[in-house]
Amino acid sequence: MNDEATSNADRDDTTDFGYTRVDPEAKAGMVRGVFDSVASRYDLMNDLMSGGVHRLWKRFTIELSAARPGQTILDIAGGTGDLAARFSRLVGPEGKVILADINAAMLEVGRDRLIDKGATGNIEVVQADAQALPFKDNSVDCITIAFGLRNVTDKALALRSMLRVLRPGGRLLVLEFSKPTSALLGKVYDQYSFQILPAMGRLIAQDADSYRYLAESIRKHPDQETLLGMMEDAGFGECRYHNMTGGVVALHQGFKP
Amino acid sequence: MTQHDPALLSAALAGAEQALNQAILLAPHSHQELDAVSGTLFGIEVTTLDLTVYIEMVTGTDVRLMAHCERETDAFVRGTLEDFAALATSNDPAATLINSGIELEGSSASLITLQQVVARIEIDWEAPLVDILGDVAGHQIAEGLRRFFRWGEGARASLKRQVSEYLLEEGRLTPPKPELEHFYDAVQSVAMRVDRAQNQVEKLLAKAAARGTSQ
Repeated sequence: MNDEATSNADRDDTTDFGYTRVDPEAKAGMVRGVFDSVASRYDLMNDLMSGGVHRLWKRFTIELSAARPGQTILDIAGGTGDLAARFSRLVGPEGKVILADINAAMLEVGRDRLIDKGATGNIEVVQADAQALPFKDNSVDCITIAFGLRNVTDKALALRSMLRVLRPGGRLLVLEFSKPTSALLGKVYDQYSFQILPAMGRLIAQDADSYRYLAESIRKHPDQETLLGMMEDAGFGECRYHNMTGGVVALHQGFKP
Repeated sequence: MTQHDPALLSAALAGAEQALNQAILLAPHSHQELDAVSGTLFGIEVTTLDLTVYIEMVTGTDVRLMAHCERETDAFVRGTLEDFAALATSNDPAATLINSGIELEGSSASLITLQQVVARIEIDWEAPLVDILGDVAGHQIAEGLRRFFRWGEGARASLKRQVSEYLLEEGRLTPPKPELEHFYDAVQSVAMRVDRAQNQVEKLLAKAAARGTSQ
């Protein structure tokens, strides 16, 4: 499906926006519209949609980051700042956490949450496009992107941009929805995504379309092995992934050689 | 690629971590003692479950449990589930640790300090109950809890004693400890005598062989 999608993109110069093909120039604006709409209730909806399991996926991501005091961590598509708050404690006052997101509304919510949690002093909030990160080469020890890569128009370009910013030996962690490893779980997951998820979006956030887009964008996102290949193609080494919750989510890890 | 689903393990560890930190928070006397081991990292590998858990003593009031850690541990213990269960229920943990199949790498001192602090932790239920329910009701419920835990401890000790007595006296299913020790001593004594006899026989055979060659 992904190869087909890529060839379609090559042929007609369009890109995926959920199940719709759109002009690549327009996708960023359309994604921004989705996240502008859900920003204020994003964390609540995440808790409801995943039954709180997204916190466990993020917990394992933090463990795998091996973040230490004094390090610089870049959290791309960090949105409401839940990863950044944990990293802020781990890197300590001599370290730095950069919370980056392309969406101003999400960053605003994230910045306010971090201030409320008292996570300040070692956190910078930056509005940035993952495809053209506005940071120096070799300046970051670890990059995380949780549930953000599938919304990026040119994923390969974004991965190359992340590689540039990482220090040699630095690691990239991509936490993203993926392909369930069992066919039965896949069917249950499909029913949930296309029936229950938009209904919950309509009920809680009064916005079924945005949540339908989220479900569609998950299906169009590269599966575990495809993303692994993309990371290797971008230049990352020692790439591997961990399936979580039966492959509903996968955490990919790669190092800058 | 990992054998355990990291999300399931994270759920178990998150729950245990929260319970542990809550317990420590309610045991103010242990904070200073735990501060002494702050910054220490322990690893526990249960070989039968193919499971490794790391315990980081962040501060005297903050313990972190992890499924993955790349830092070098200060102490690492490895054993089967049965070994750890025996250690947890043992009256003499030091002796059980020595006699069991548990392997220890790194500093045993920090591990023993942690074990002693954990054994001494006394949770003060009264403070949070008083905060929520007020002085009178909070104190009464805390007293009830204390009585319940004391009764539980007594009941556990009594049950252990009674089961032991039944196995020894009524069922005669296991021998008494002194009888068993006497038996082990006798076996050891016989083994030593056999060794000595074997040595003497070997000496005599060597002498006989020497005489045979000289004639």
